[in-house]
Amino acid sequence: MPVLASLAHAAAHGSGSMATTAEQAVFERRATRRAVARERMNFLVFLGPAIVLTVLFFIIPVLIDVAVSFTDMGRSLKVTGFTLDQYHKVFAGDRRLPQIIGMTAIYVLGTLSIFNVTFGLILALVTTAISRASGSFFRGVWLLPRMSPSVLYILLWLWVVDPSKMGLLNQILMNGFGVAGPVDLKTQAPVALIIIANGFIGASMGMIIFTSAIRGIPEHLFHAARVDGAGVFAQTWFVTLPALRWPISFVTIYQTLSLLVSFEYILLLTKGGPFYDTTVLALYVYRRAFESGQYGYGAALALFLIVIGVIFALLGWRFFDMQRLLQRPRIEVQ
Amino acid sequence: MAVEATANGMGAAPPTAAVDWSRLAARARNARRARATVVYAFLIAASVPIILPYFWLVTVAFSAKLGVAETGVLWRSMLILVPAVIALWLAIALTRNRRQMWIAVAAVAVVTTGLFAWLIGPDLWLGNFMFLWTPDFASVVRSRVGEVKGAVDFPNIWNAFGNSILLAGSQTAIVVAVASLAGYYLSRFQFPGRTAMLRSLLVLHAFPVLTLIVPLFLMLYFIGLLDTLLGVILVLVAFELPFAIFIMKGFFDAVPWDVEMSALTDGASRRQAFLRVVLPQVTNGMLAISVFTFIRGWEEYIFVLTFLVRNTNWTMSLYMFYVRDDLMGVDYGVVSAVGVFYLVPSLLLYLAAQRFLMQMSISGVKG
Repeated sequence: MPVLASLAHAAAHGSGSMATTAEQAVFERRATRRAVARERMNFLVFLGPAIVLTVLFFIIPVLIDVAVSFTDMGRSLKVTGFTLDQYHKVFAGDRRLPQIIGMTAIYVLGTLSIFNVTFGLILALVTTAISRASGSFFRGVWLLPRMSPSVLYILLWLWVVDPSKMGLLNQILMNGFGVAGPVDLKTQAPVALIIIANGFIGASMGMIIFTSAIRGIPEHLFHAARVDGAGVFAQTWFVTLPALRWPISFVTIYQTLSLLVSFEYILLLTKGGPFYDTTVLALYVYRRAFESGQYGYGAALALFLIVIGVIFALLGWRFFDMQRLLQRPRIEVQ
Repeated sequence: MAVEATANGMGAAPPTAAVDWSRLAARARNARRARATVVYAFLIAASVPIILPYFWLVTVAFSAKLGVAETGVLWRSMLILVPAVIALWLAIALTRNRRQMWIAVAAVAVVTTGLFAWLIGPDLWLGNFMFLWTPDFASVVRSRVGEVKGAVDFPNIWNAFGNSILLAGSQTAIVVAVASLAGYYLSRFQFPGRTAMLRSLLVLHAFPVLTLIVPLFLMLYFIGLLDTLLGVILVLVAFELPFAIFIMKGFFDAVPWDVEMSALTDGASRRQAFLRVVLPQVTNGMLAISVFTFIRGWEEYIFVLTFLVRNTNWTMSLYMFYVRDDLMGVDYGVVSAVGVFYLVPSLLLYLAAQRFLMQMSISGVKG
């Protein structure tokens, strides 16, 4: 618009003298300045709130975390001096840490390979093989855990594995299968328990993504395979699975990350116990900071976990075409 | 399998002999039926472990008079519910059009309700929901089993309910407003550092936010927002923003820019064009984000547990947690009634917003 205005102005006074050209230059400069000011204002109006909130509650905490990890802050929140002790503890001093990291690996790989990818894939394949309505019905059932608030979902699990005779599992085992006494999964098989409880939720994400990918495969490929004599398994192996390569790697990377850093369900279900048997790294950070009050050590551990997480995320993006997400904007009018 | 059988049959038959088509068709039909049976058997077996606990929750909430589930009621309602679910599924699968389907579903619903009223009706017991009108319900429950003083001092449930609504609602409002503005700017304007900003948004989206709980706790403590709802709201908003901005950017990218361009040529400013022309085109995106953020706020547990202390600041998740912590083993009926009360809004929101959420998850995957 400013350009138009100055053009109109030039046309009105267009007698061809030197004065008009100078005047025009002044106008143009003023118009440019106004455009720049508007540009800045737009930036502030549109992006300002997002930037302020993100910096205040996202960037600054990271900086605080780095700062605190170099101190000896404890429960009293007092800092007496700067030290590298916390990092010494992370890399050499803490003898429990190797066990925690091993546990984290078992938990992430176990949940991922059994439920999030494999079972999610099976559910997607099976529910797309039957009629559409029945398929959505069963997918809806498997989405139920994801739709329930975490506290409630774990409440149900605590009921199922209740160590007394009232527990659902114990009722089924004792009445249906003639098992002698009540079993206590929380102490006898805690790792399996947290993997299953998380897997029931994790499977649904893979299921949804794989389902929409399978729906996207052109029908004629299946017809062609069938004409060539392919059975159900051959169709799955040679037609469906190759089309799912991208979704499968996406789910794997995404879920690895979220399993690595989440501990909500474990905290609610076993509190990381018995002792430290089901404490994964993320939960260990939380327990160190808020149970033992070692804020400095917690911060150092958190930083360690952040580095692992970010490395995983960056590695993951190498597999994907991230540039596609960053396409250039299409309108550049102020 | 069916096709394989046909192919083999054709191969085996000598070229001159007539092919027994009807026999082959029957064999194919049987193979297909066998396969469907296996598939359904698997799906039903896989769904039972999920449905059973929820079923238990609801039944206990509405029928347990003495604090424990009565086996008879459980069996009887099972007897009604299992055929009802099968009938419902048949109604959906076998009917040919929408109208028939709704009629069949309504018929099943009426019959099931009738059966429930007849067989379970006498056992219906709403006393478990007394927490809705008796703030000090824990003592009442405890006095039944002889214990007098509980460990937890419960606030009024409506207080926790209001806090949850306030938390989730204001979080939603802020996220939607801020993410729409930022998403539009990132989608339409070129400025130095745009690519870097998008990249850092992706990093922030993948960032392990739960690890920031220690520094956030310290920060909120120092600026005096610890144990206030405002502090939790701001923290949760910051964590939801990167994802929400990305989703909104995707929705803005999908709006054809001719629409906007014509608004600009008609003399609208960028802001007017944004408010009057583009924003109405992305209502679906805004709805998707609202529902998603609201549910996240409603469910939030770790941050409220760590940042909120006073029981007048409790949200529903904390209320649920402490009810479970305090009364599990004392009275299952009340615990499950609170559970039902907490679960239903979440489920209703998901059901109402299914369409938008599907759109979002797909565009989220695509970027």
